[in-house]
Amino acid sequence: MNRHFFPLTVLAFLVLSCLTVPSAGAAEQNGSHRQTWKTVAELPEAERSRIDFRVDTPRDTTIPYLPAEAYPFQPPYTAEEMGYRSMEFPHVSRWSHAMADVFGAITSNGFLDEGITLGYSHYLPDEDGVPGQLSMTPGEDYFRMVFFYTYPPENQGLQDLWILRRTDRKETTKLDNFIYSPTLRRVRRQPQPRRDAQFPNNVQTFDDVVGRDAWEFSWRLLGTDVLHETVRFPNTRPTVTLATPEGNFNEIPSAQIKMLGDTYPHYTPDGGVVCYVVEATRKEDWLPHYRMSRLIYWLDQHSFYPLRIEQYDNDNQLRVIEVRNAYLVNPALEERGYAGLFTVYYDLALDLMSYSAHDAHWVKEWSEEDQSTMFEPDFMRRNWLKYPLKSQSLVYSPEKFFLRPRLYPDKFPQDRNVAISVELEQRYRLQEEAGHLVFDSSSPLIEAKVQQ
Amino acid sequence: MHGKRGLLSVVGSVLGGLLLLALSANVSPCYGYFMDKQVDAVVNTWSRFDRFLSTFDPAGRYVRQPIERQVPALTFRGFLRQWSDIQLSGDRRVGNRQKDFRFSQMQNLLELELHYQVSPNIEITNINNFIYDSVYNWQDSAGLFAPRTSETFRAYHNFERIVRELYISYRTHNLDVVLGKQQIAWGKMDGQYIDVINGMDRRESVQLEASDYEWRRLPAWMANVTYFFGANSLNFLWIPNFEQDRNPVPGSPWYSPLASPRDTETKAILDGRQDATGDQFRETKRPSTGDFGDHQYGLRLDVSMEPLTWGLIYYYAWNKNPTSFIVDRDIDAAGDPYLIFQPRFTRLHHLGITADYASALSNMPLVGELPIVLRVEGLWTKDVPFADFDHQDRAREGYLNSGIIRRDTLRAAIAVEFAFPGNTSFIFQPSLLYTFDWRKNLGPGFGGAVGDKWNVLPVIFIGRPFRFTRDRLRVEMTLIPWISGPVREWQGIKSKLVAQYRFSQFITGRLIYTAFSSGDRTDLYGQFNKWDNIGWELSYEF
Repeated sequence: MNRHFFPLTVLAFLVLSCLTVPSAGAAEQNGSHRQTWKTVAELPEAERSRIDFRVDTPRDTTIPYLPAEAYPFQPPYTAEEMGYRSMEFPHVSRWSHAMADVFGAITSNGFLDEGITLGYSHYLPDEDGVPGQLSMTPGEDYFRMVFFYTYPPENQGLQDLWILRRTDRKETTKLDNFIYSPTLRRVRRQPQPRRDAQFPNNVQTFDDVVGRDAWEFSWRLLGTDVLHETVRFPNTRPTVTLATPEGNFNEIPSAQIKMLGDTYPHYTPDGGVVCYVVEATRKEDWLPHYRMSRLIYWLDQHSFYPLRIEQYDNDNQLRVIEVRNAYLVNPALEERGYAGLFTVYYDLALDLMSYSAHDAHWVKEWSEEDQSTMFEPDFMRRNWLKYPLKSQSLVYSPEKFFLRPRLYPDKFPQDRNVAISVELEQRYRLQEEAGHLVFDSSSPLIEAKVQQ
Repeated sequence: MHGKRGLLSVVGSVLGGLLLLALSANVSPCYGYFMDKQVDAVVNTWSRFDRFLSTFDPAGRYVRQPIERQVPALTFRGFLRQWSDIQLSGDRRVGNRQKDFRFSQMQNLLELELHYQVSPNIEITNINNFIYDSVYNWQDSAGLFAPRTSETFRAYHNFERIVRELYISYRTHNLDVVLGKQQIAWGKMDGQYIDVINGMDRRESVQLEASDYEWRRLPAWMANVTYFFGANSLNFLWIPNFEQDRNPVPGSPWYSPLASPRDTETKAILDGRQDATGDQFRETKRPSTGDFGDHQYGLRLDVSMEPLTWGLIYYYAWNKNPTSFIVDRDIDAAGDPYLIFQPRFTRLHHLGITADYASALSNMPLVGELPIVLRVEGLWTKDVPFADFDHQDRAREGYLNSGIIRRDTLRAAIAVEFAFPGNTSFIFQPSLLYTFDWRKNLGPGFGGAVGDKWNVLPVIFIGRPFRFTRDRLRVEMTLIPWISGPVREWQGIKSKLVAQYRFSQFITGRLIYTAFSSGDRTDLYGQFNKWDNIGWELSYEF
């Protein structure tokens, strides 16, 4: 090829890569199971009895944006009540605890970026969970989290303090944010991250981490579905190493990691989890200029744990898929005690994936001394890692990264618009055939396709 | 001119290459399925290299991890950084400088940091720096001869410089006690306002950046005690060991072209071929570590009243630069009078404040909610000695005096930081340097305006990562205009453009363009307008 055409060819493919076409709905994007979803119209009477289809329900007399019925509500549930129940499960559990948060991101060509931060969380209200947050006055802080980075070396010693505030339409500041940088050697107050902005080289946004308040959205039930898989491990990673808070490491076969842990009592005979599928559309007066127009949640029907969350942009295109594995970490809270173990976020437009593993989760009541010191900005400059936790859950190698989540282009077609580029569709197919991410176009798999 | 154009062409090529690199990093090899085979091969090769690089950490794997496995209580880390600047102007004489060098630094810095956990409350920390600046050996320059005055400019060669920090810390919930050699950062602005505890290696003069303070501060032996009560704290410093600022010396790249004598004369004096003429300077008198009365003391109170935090500081310190007092007058062989100076350090009282406040502006056009942070720092210093050239002239005429007057100074800054969409950060930081009761013919003094009564620096910073490179490419721009009054009005503008690329989470590269534009050749920035340069940093952390 003429050398002058070489850069033009590269440029042309960069441009072409931005073009998208509707997905062909290939079988591999749906998984191997037969139709598992039902729209509202298709629901049998037995399932309808647990659902309240009303949209306008009575309001709380003091806080008009809350339902009048007392939390945690009784069946039948409205879609809005399901939304409130799912608030129990943001990315970071709503109770005081410590954990090793292992995270990473991978680009489509296999550039891997990973880190470990030790997270210490102190839930301030007397009561854990959503009731605790609702008991606070708007503007008051209800949750404090300190993150102490231990890996990679460039971030070692970096610390973050997040002070979350209860918000409403008047009190919109959701976070007081402080960082301690070892090179700056001072604690510095930072502007709160934009709630809908993805962190650098990551898919997660600030709202993905701390959760979204149900009252900022309008809720609608789309139907029910049975999920059989959420987070998917590649065949190159047959086991994962998980840690206990005491520092013991256990090698777990990745195929044995279930969506809601071993103790979840409601799996279907074929290992599925029955979910409500609800849509949350943002209220323009609460969230103006928000990057996402709506979200679709797959909520386990018993705990309302969100196993899958889809985010749609303002052009109504599916932009981000979040899938989770969880387990019962805090039995004292019964069905509200589930916490995420592995979470994978997938940005379809960028073909960028990020993950988070909450390892060595330690439900912990902080001592009075810890409460008064560890969760204050000034503490960070002491560089005092009081409760070191260890993890070996890093992926370490691009070839061992999680698979892209299922796209399910056929599910709820009237409410979901799954459009991906031809090139992404190709990559997805190669991944499914190989059982792991495929980066290299000269791999035997791709060469075989070219010959065909 | 020709040389500059040639250099710009090289720089353009480098930037072009960096952009292509950033674009290639975004191209998945699976595009190759649709591509020409040659393109496919290139993209594949790059992709494999990129994947290899993303987990390439030999020192971490073969040094750090084995050591930490053998000694679990030990945390070990470090970095290796190559750090070079090439000047854009060719050989020429600038003021008194024989500027015949193109590289103003070619520094290689190895930092090793060790933490040993003796018990849950006690830790020993040691940070060592090994620097070698090959700028003095790798280019043939008559204008670079600083190692003849101080070898430290070429390489750290003694305990004092290599062992930067060595301290033991003891912590309880309410108390921190840190004893040993350490550095303290009290400021967090772009520029030094209340960050005055340690001396600073100012070898880069006006190019010294806040991001380099960590490696340019000169740690000192001290006791650092902090008492925590609620969200507040009280910090006390006792510093027996005094470390002064280290300024550029004759023959170093950033030695001021305004300083006399010329380089050729300086070298002749160093060679013993010529005697120094004019005024004479005695050996500098330094504070004594053994004298309790010569020690420095600092106190800082920090109070948190969400969403406002504020603090007060007091520092009873030595001026970091000596002041030359006239102690005598004499007549030379030609019958001309000359003065005899005694440089010595003087005591200063610093009083400072710091505060920051966070908020979010709602319903802003285009961006919706706009988070902001406001930061303030100010330092008032009492009785700062200034050389008074009128007094020196009178001393030359026979009316002997110290040649010094004292003035109070103020330096302060207010920074407003905005978080715009796309992880774009914008900071506007108006800063003020002010000398109370200023008059013409004053020399420089701590904290005061440079060459004038007041200086105002409306610093502008903007930085953002680029999503199409998956945020591996980040570009930042800083503008520091130096406005001055009532005499000079304008002392030039410093512009800095940085392109940073993360080759991996262990390896980062930076390209830095620094320019000093406009201003008169006797102004702060104006004197360095032939020092525009392009720098690069390659850093591997393990």
